[in-house]
Amino acid sequence: MKYSGYILLAIVWLALPFVLERHAIDLLVFCGFYAVAGAGVGFLLGQGGIVNLGQAAFYGLGAYSSAYCTVQLGLPAPVGILTGVVVSLCLAFLIGRPILRLSGYFLALATLALGIICSNLFYEAEFITGGTLGIPGVPKLSVLGFALDTPTKFYFLIWPVAVLCVLSMRSLMSSRIGLAMQAMRDAPEAAMVLAIDISRLKLWMFLISSVLGSVAGSLFAHYVGFVNVDSFGVERSIFFLLVPVIGGAASPAGVLVGALFVGLVPEALSVLGDIHRVLFGLALVATVVFFPDGLIGLLKRLADTCIPARRQALKMEQSR
Amino acid sequence: MTSAPLLELSEVGKNFGGFAALKAVSFTVPTGGITGLMGPNGSGKTTLFNIISGFIAPSNGTVAYRGKAIGHQSVQERSLDGLVRTFQTPKVFERLTVVENVMTGAYKKTRSGLMAGLLNTPASRREIDATREAALATCRKFDLGAVAGKQASLLPAGQRRLLELARAYQGDPQLLLLDEPSSGLTTTEIEAMTDKLRLIASEGITILIVSHDMDLMGIAENIHVLDFGRIICSGSMAEVQENTAVREAYLGV
Repeated sequence: MKYSGYILLAIVWLALPFVLERHAIDLLVFCGFYAVAGAGVGFLLGQGGIVNLGQAAFYGLGAYSSAYCTVQLGLPAPVGILTGVVVSLCLAFLIGRPILRLSGYFLALATLALGIICSNLFYEAEFITGGTLGIPGVPKLSVLGFALDTPTKFYFLIWPVAVLCVLSMRSLMSSRIGLAMQAMRDAPEAAMVLAIDISRLKLWMFLISSVLGSVAGSLFAHYVGFVNVDSFGVERSIFFLLVPVIGGAASPAGVLVGALFVGLVPEALSVLGDIHRVLFGLALVATVVFFPDGLIGLLKRLADTCIPARRQALKMEQSR
Repeated sequence: MTSAPLLELSEVGKNFGGFAALKAVSFTVPTGGITGLMGPNGSGKTTLFNIISGFIAPSNGTVAYRGKAIGHQSVQERSLDGLVRTFQTPKVFERLTVVENVMTGAYKKTRSGLMAGLLNTPASRREIDATREAALATCRKFDLGAVAGKQASLLPAGQRRLLELARAYQGDPQLLLLDEPSSGLTTTEIEAMTDKLRLIASEGITILIVSHDMDLMGIAENIHVLDFGRIICSGSMAEVQENTAVREAYLGV
């Protein structure tokens, strides 16, 4: 009974590719990329109180590393993904140490600058990135000799990866280090007094976030088969930040809902014509204003009022 | 007191711009028992606490803990050595539950790393379960057992103070620095707080209390009085109350 909701979700997830048309599955695959990259941003935001406006930098590093390693160097895909992760970790380490001393708006601006600088570097470093022409012909990913050459097949890779990321974040949050991270977010001085090394924890969070961005970027490159600078601009970073903001950053699972929102709502609204951008903006504002805990907070509240077992549990807790 | 002092301040001064918040403050805290540091508002008590706990560096003078100068040590290093403080406005981890707050107190006693947490390894789970059990026992000890599962932001002032104390206690302190532990509390809450402080002291933990609350200070064996950045009197409660300089500072007579 306890898991019935999750089982239902899993069945729906399994059934979707057989019901939906190809274009819809394609959108859901993109939502998966947003969820993975957004999980990193959401972790920083929800558990560290850090606004990251530069995630597209790591998304780009992952994508270009994969594209360059496989296309130019002819290396196998896992090497490309790993290269992206290593390069991202190095950059996050070098940049993170100085900028994570900042906090609040200043830190957010520093990450924004990181995003802008990397976006320009992608543009300028033609010998690696191909500049505006980009790198075409990135090979399809294959897992155990099974080529992921259709949206449906990729759908069955990216969503488990996204869920795995979320589960991992959840597990971290309830661990010793995760508690210390949340302590640091709520009261940094008090955390210091408990011997929590807050600069190290912030750096770790930034490293985790960068890895997720990079992996999402690598998978994106293999899925689309073509990368160029347009995919890694500042808007993309803002987009990644919207994922946890809309979904709800307090709970790691929020990014899954947020990714679906930012990936599907603009498309759904586009049938209404040119006004759809305005409507999407309004939908964003409405979500943030009316559901400060994000959509996942709304879903939880709905579950608490609609599912009898949960309502019972909640009553018990309140009467204590 | 026969034993060597646990904490020794010599000629500690602190200037903020042209303003001397502390002028050559010297006093000692013996090992064991409760020592009080009293003084009216603005006398430099909190500045002194910030210096002892390592949040700010003194302009001159030295702070020695267990016989060693600790001026170069970070807040965290001092905490690892058993020097733990609380804050004038309790700083609880608002979005964590009460028991999780206390669990973070044990951070320095536990080992699980980042990867263990991400991968949810059995060792990490075992450790956090043991940490939780120990924290629950501490919650009960500090009368927080009934609210252990509650989010800390929902606690009233009295319980926030107790929670901060329980959290500090969970990290096995040797010297506990308490900044105004009774401020904002009702009379009954102050009594409960006093009981807990006696309990902690009875376990061999040395306590230094900063306060201007005369009633709470009754539990201190030895009191130093600070006024305008200098120690004006040291002694027992009775001696301090008789002291003319203290009477002038407090009552203006």
